[in-house]
Amino acid sequence: MAWLDELSAGDIAAGVAAGDFSAVEVTQASLSAIDARDGEIAALIESCPELALDYARRIDERKAQGQELGCLAGVPVSFKDNMQLIGTHTTCASRMLEGYESVYTATCVQRMLDAGAIPVAKANMDEFAFGSSTETSAFHPTRNPWDTERVPGGSSGGSAVSVAAGEVTLSLGSDTGGSIRQPASFCGVVGLKPSYGAVSRYGVVAFGSSLDQVGPLGRSVSDVVLAMQALTQAGRDRLDSTSQDCQSDFCGTLNQGVAGGRVGVMRELIEAEGLSDEVRDGLKRSIATFESAGAEIVDVELEHLTSAIAAYYVIGPAEAFSNLARFDGVRYGYQEPDCETLAEQTAKSRAHGFGIEAKRRQMLGAYLLASGVYDKYYYPAQKLRTLITDDYNKAYERCDVILLPVAPTCAWKLGEITNARQMYLSDMFTISNNIAGNCGISVPVGLGSASGMPLAAQLQGPAFGDATLLRYAHALESEVGALGVAPAFFGKGGEL
Amino acid sequence: MKTLEEVLVDWEAVIGLEVHTELTTLQTKMFCNCKLSHDDEPNANVCPVCLGLPGALPVPNEEAIRSIVMAGLATNCDIMPRSMFYRKHYFYPDMAKNFQTTQGPVAFCMHGHLDLEVVGQGAAERPDASIDKKDDGSYVTPVRILRIHMEEDAAKMVHVGGKEGRIGGAAESFVDYNRCGTPLIELVTEPDLRTPEEARLFMEKLRETFLALGISDCSMEKGSMRCDGNVSLRRRGAQEFGTKTEMKNINSFKNLHDALEYEICRQAEVLEEGGVVQQETRHFEPSKRRTMVMRVKETADDYRLFPDPDLAPFDLSDEFVEECRARIPELPDAKRERYMNDLGIKSSDAALLAGTPATAALFEEAVAVTDGKHAPVIANVMVNLLPGYSCSAAQIAALAGLLAEDAITSAQAREVLELVSGSDADPVAVVDERGMRQTTDTSTLEPIVDAVLARCGEQVQQYRDGNKKVLGFLVGQCMKEAQGSGNPKLFNQLLASKLN
Repeated sequence: MAWLDELSAGDIAAGVAAGDFSAVEVTQASLSAIDARDGEIAALIESCPELALDYARRIDERKAQGQELGCLAGVPVSFKDNMQLIGTHTTCASRMLEGYESVYTATCVQRMLDAGAIPVAKANMDEFAFGSSTETSAFHPTRNPWDTERVPGGSSGGSAVSVAAGEVTLSLGSDTGGSIRQPASFCGVVGLKPSYGAVSRYGVVAFGSSLDQVGPLGRSVSDVVLAMQALTQAGRDRLDSTSQDCQSDFCGTLNQGVAGGRVGVMRELIEAEGLSDEVRDGLKRSIATFESAGAEIVDVELEHLTSAIAAYYVIGPAEAFSNLARFDGVRYGYQEPDCETLAEQTAKSRAHGFGIEAKRRQMLGAYLLASGVYDKYYYPAQKLRTLITDDYNKAYERCDVILLPVAPTCAWKLGEITNARQMYLSDMFTISNNIAGNCGISVPVGLGSASGMPLAAQLQGPAFGDATLLRYAHALESEVGALGVAPAFFGKGGEL
Repeated sequence: MKTLEEVLVDWEAVIGLEVHTELTTLQTKMFCNCKLSHDDEPNANVCPVCLGLPGALPVPNEEAIRSIVMAGLATNCDIMPRSMFYRKHYFYPDMAKNFQTTQGPVAFCMHGHLDLEVVGQGAAERPDASIDKKDDGSYVTPVRILRIHMEEDAAKMVHVGGKEGRIGGAAESFVDYNRCGTPLIELVTEPDLRTPEEARLFMEKLRETFLALGISDCSMEKGSMRCDGNVSLRRRGAQEFGTKTEMKNINSFKNLHDALEYEICRQAEVLEEGGVVQQETRHFEPSKRRTMVMRVKETADDYRLFPDPDLAPFDLSDEFVEECRARIPELPDAKRERYMNDLGIKSSDAALLAGTPATAALFEEAVAVTDGKHAPVIANVMVNLLPGYSCSAAQIAALAGLLAEDAITSAQAREVLELVSGSDADPVAVVDERGMRQTTDTSTLEPIVDAVLARCGEQVQQYRDGNKKVLGFLVGQCMKEAQGSGNPKLFNQLLASKLN
């Protein structure tokens, strides 16, 4: 007898392999947890019990036949609803794609399934990943399991909550400017944005193609590592020409410690006024932890860090405008009825199919790419991108990883931030990492003394320094301790 | 309206071409693994990528890149060491993503040229004063190529129940995505062409070159090679360009020539009457041999071109370019030169044979059969007799051998062709079986000549009086006497020697 809430991904895979429990039993536990918990938090857009049990039975058959099982055998997983998975709908939390049936499966999803993961649900998100609170979902907001009056962060809010509330053990999210790390920080789970190109984007509905990256969220660094193993071990995906080989012995190097290593910090940033005291305390605690683990703390400078947000709000919307142009209501998606002309149908389908934030970003992008405007914004943004990347490369000559906040504060209340610009600024510590194509991770560092909400530290590493980054994250987590499933939901359903 | 000849006395026509060529010989589409075929059932060759489904990503077809690099090398272009794909946005269902993947300011191939040799009647279109011509009126003119870039073709749309097959007012519109994503190369010339004939010749030369490279079937009829022509007029001696009009989707070399000819004459009339040429797109109607306004461009479309973030920049290594260069076969110009210099073929025959890869291959095979003997006769057979018949290289070589040794006449050669075409019959056997072989034994022919000379005293006298034409009559008499089996050339020689 066990609770799904207490099992790591590794425990589940080992238990299924040893015959302690079956994949079907684990899946049923996950489904019962969803039944008992999701009403309060609305982390999911769709759960898929039949599909999940189907996959679980296949694992159990393999086990019965004595075949080798993957590193995620029987592990219940949710996927952000911008990932194609045959047998489910892929809506991007938009009216535009409401009811859209996946006709193929994304490479990242397939690789999780190949490793034995069980697809139990599609997770809520900001519409087309535009947002930082999951409030722009066309269907419903998602609530933070640590305080249901608060937002879970976004855009991968559903992914973070489904893990934090113990509905699933792992989730895949996508991160264009912080969309994995920020909700992970708000919900007290570990969220990894791998290096650009490490995980295939094929089958993940694009927001900003040069910024998007898929990554795992889990309740511990070692769970996230198992997912990375599954996502990368088959090498680069020939269906994504921007993907690269990123195979590494992530598990093997995880416990090697950080003694003799170097952690970069920007002291003036930690003292900056915009940070809440809780977040600042969390960072200081992390610095002390690394020092006591034998790492050297070095000062680094990222001169153009604060300009990254400007570059991001040019490149991101420009690419989003282009990527979302295909949603015209002609062959699939929302189609305005009773139109006289094609032009009218296209205009009205887009006007009524997209929500306000999706329209805002696309209009901004259409403006930024217009002739005469392009040279003023897009071109300088690309130059800034090079400068930011150079800043990072210089900094990584002095250190292995850089310690930063994830967000300036802990999770805010639903409806508290309505100003788009204020919402955009909450991503200022995560965005530069996407601009440079580097890797980053959010690691819980305890609960806020005033808010009682999860706090997190962000570690960033150079492109394809993912294994090193995970090693530092693991060292931090080992000292500070993982938060586990949010207490209010622990043990509600999910009995195994 | 004035004629082209009249117009071009006072006006200079400035012509540029944009040529789209589908890389039809490839197996798969530009950015996915779908089969490249327009002949299958509509929408049989589609996948998430070419349908632009959410989440799908493009992966470039390396063979297509090889093809465009070969096209660039064959047209003397610089192959750019780094080039990128761009997205060109417009909302229309023929492009599933609502943007076309194409190239930006830097194309794979930049700044090339082709030299045109303009001969015969076509050369007369260009006034002598405007260029140095050879004694026979022919001239050579270089045509610069601005760029050749790579892009994907759109889907095919069919509109039913509307006017002129347009979408406006159509009851139903159908889209066939089989063509969507077909690799397409677009070549843009500088405005260096000056006559419709030069434009026609440029297209012909480009087609011959691409055919030789084996990168496309270059069918203007089927639309795998398409051409838009831009033309403007300026007074002779003027430096500034006039306002140009664009002619879209011309589907044959002749139509290209005729459309430009009409348009030049039309513009001249407008200008000479004090009017203004409108910048507009026009459509050529072959049956009426005139161009009609398609649409007037008031503002430039804004396609919001920007680098495609899904496709990394292309860095073409020297090795890659050299590998492409090594794949380029002998091109028509070089072939023609070789036929003329090494095989003694006359210029016009050499050009015809070298122009089509299949013809050139057949010719060379036939020459190889005879070990290089009778090459000019083989050329003559292929250019003048063979069209309309289907023969193997061995049959052609045998027939040329018979002609070369005067065993049969040209008229008989045609008879033989009729008999062996489409079969594997040996022309030599056919000639022998039918007793068609001409007698070349003078001892047999001499008595006949003597008999004819004796019989036709009157004509002999005429010949000796200086009427040399009468020799033909005498040859005819000999042939008649020999019942067709005597060689006319030999009779000619024998008669001449006896009469002199």
